[in-house]
Amino acid sequence: MPTGRLPHPPAALRRGPLREDAFPSRLHDPRVAALLGLWLGVTFGVCFLTGLVSHYMQHPPSWLAWPARPVWLYRVTQGLHVSTGMACVPLLLAKLWTVYPRLWEWPPVRSVAHALERLTIVPLVAGALFQLATGIANVAQWYRFRFFFTVTHYWVAWITIGALLVHVAAKVTVVRANVGPGRDARAHLTDRLTEPEPPGDGLSRRGLGIAVGTAAGLITATSAGQWVPGLAPLDLLAPRRPDIGPQGLPVNRSAVAARVVALARDPDYRLEVVGPRPFTLGLDELRAFDRHTVTLPITCVEGWSADGTWHGPRLRDLLDAAGIPPDATVRVESLEARGGYRASEVRPPHARDPLTLLATGLNGADLDLDHGYPARLIAPDRPGVLQTKWVHRVVMV
Amino acid sequence: MLVVGLRWLAGLRWLAVGMGLAALGYGVDGLVTMSRATHPPQAARWLIGAVVLHDAVAVPVTAAVGLLVSRVVRAPYRAVVQGAMLVSAAVALASLPLWRGYGGSPDNPTVNPLPYGRNLAIVLGAVWAVAAVLIAVRARRARSGHAVPTVLAGSAELADSADSAELADSAG
Repeated sequence: MPTGRLPHPPAALRRGPLREDAFPSRLHDPRVAALLGLWLGVTFGVCFLTGLVSHYMQHPPSWLAWPARPVWLYRVTQGLHVSTGMACVPLLLAKLWTVYPRLWEWPPVRSVAHALERLTIVPLVAGALFQLATGIANVAQWYRFRFFFTVTHYWVAWITIGALLVHVAAKVTVVRANVGPGRDARAHLTDRLTEPEPPGDGLSRRGLGIAVGTAAGLITATSAGQWVPGLAPLDLLAPRRPDIGPQGLPVNRSAVAARVVALARDPDYRLEVVGPRPFTLGLDELRAFDRHTVTLPITCVEGWSADGTWHGPRLRDLLDAAGIPPDATVRVESLEARGGYRASEVRPPHARDPLTLLATGLNGADLDLDHGYPARLIAPDRPGVLQTKWVHRVVMV
Repeated sequence: MLVVGLRWLAGLRWLAVGMGLAALGYGVDGLVTMSRATHPPQAARWLIGAVVLHDAVAVPVTAAVGLLVSRVVRAPYRAVVQGAMLVSAAVALASLPLWRGYGGSPDNPTVNPLPYGRNLAIVLGAVWAVAAVLIAVRARRARSGHAVPTVLAGSAELADSADSAELADSAG
């Protein structure tokens, strides 16, 4: 970059890792970095897009109506989000290893443009490491940080993807000169060219690629069973097993944590449906109300999902009984006194879907207290945190 | 397709810079504005802490381990050991809170419900079993005078330096 060339610092400062031959490994190579970078571009792109899906499913702008079909959509997008993020661990660390000598490049800055480009590496590396570390901590429900995970993870995602775009733009010529058929013809584009691999006894470039791929594959294989049907027997290192929990289903937030135990067990419990013709039902009346059975997955924002067979009245039948019109949005309210997820909005595509139940039973028995006894919402293609548990009110918005 | 895509991207790189800076600014603005949820001083500490931990601790430690391996493990086996160490470290890092017993809550036994220490031992045991087979194959080839396959390592002598070992990438 020719503009704003800066003077060289004195050579006497060039010591330690700043020395020219400080990093002689053949793995510090532009082609290796470019190939790992391409893979990271794909995986971080997948994480960003699936993360956006999850964000906008939970906070839909007024013009956006998420479909209730396909039933498995959120299971796949969120499962991919978490699995891809975990597989990024070896990719990112190997990539940072291959380019680590660049941190100590001499002179530290050559020009204003070079300085600006190096500056955008800081949010890129910080954001990428932050996203993987907080994501892995969050799925294990390990909270050593005081910020609220989802909001912070969301904003840092924008920082990371923005810095990544700038980085891609800055490095695209280096990638073109080192990757793909006919790359020799593009060698004139840059002075950052791969050298023929020197002999050595340690890991070769190809060996590094094999090891990184093996690591990513092994991490995925031993954890994707928490959301991919049929892979559960391989689920050795995931925070959840889809068949472990009360009534064979995991729980994200227990009744104790939600402080609803006494209210949920109250024999005087009544469900209130508020619309043009409001009414209330006791638990026995609710159980007797035109009962249906559906098989739907609970799909958690933490990436796990598990199929259950749910029993109870269709939400739309309850809404019809209250005279709530088909184009109305309703709010489903929990017995929880407080908390960000005590109520959720159900828009017409989900509210009117024949698979959406206000379930009172699961897998042939009454709902477990931790699954939302006496009644919970269960709808297709909807994040688990919006499948409100311990429901006591349905209100037309 | 890749070549065409990259050429196309190269033509649009100033647009990408503009979009990237806009997204970056949007993220910083959101992080600072929604301070009750994001707790900016905490978030900044974790962001900067991650970089410092990686650049100043994880990489030097990895390099030191690599130097040790290059001194201790002989030529045709070194690459296998380094590869197995890389895989082991990555698997252990991606599941760190689980086998360390961090996280979860007493009222919800469905979070982190598995015997993760044992499971990690099973997975790493499989990794090192494969590594042992590869080492045995190489030993046999060396004895029978065949050249070691060049997939994982070259052959000639070249003193490996501290950073040539790609392994215990223990960053966070």
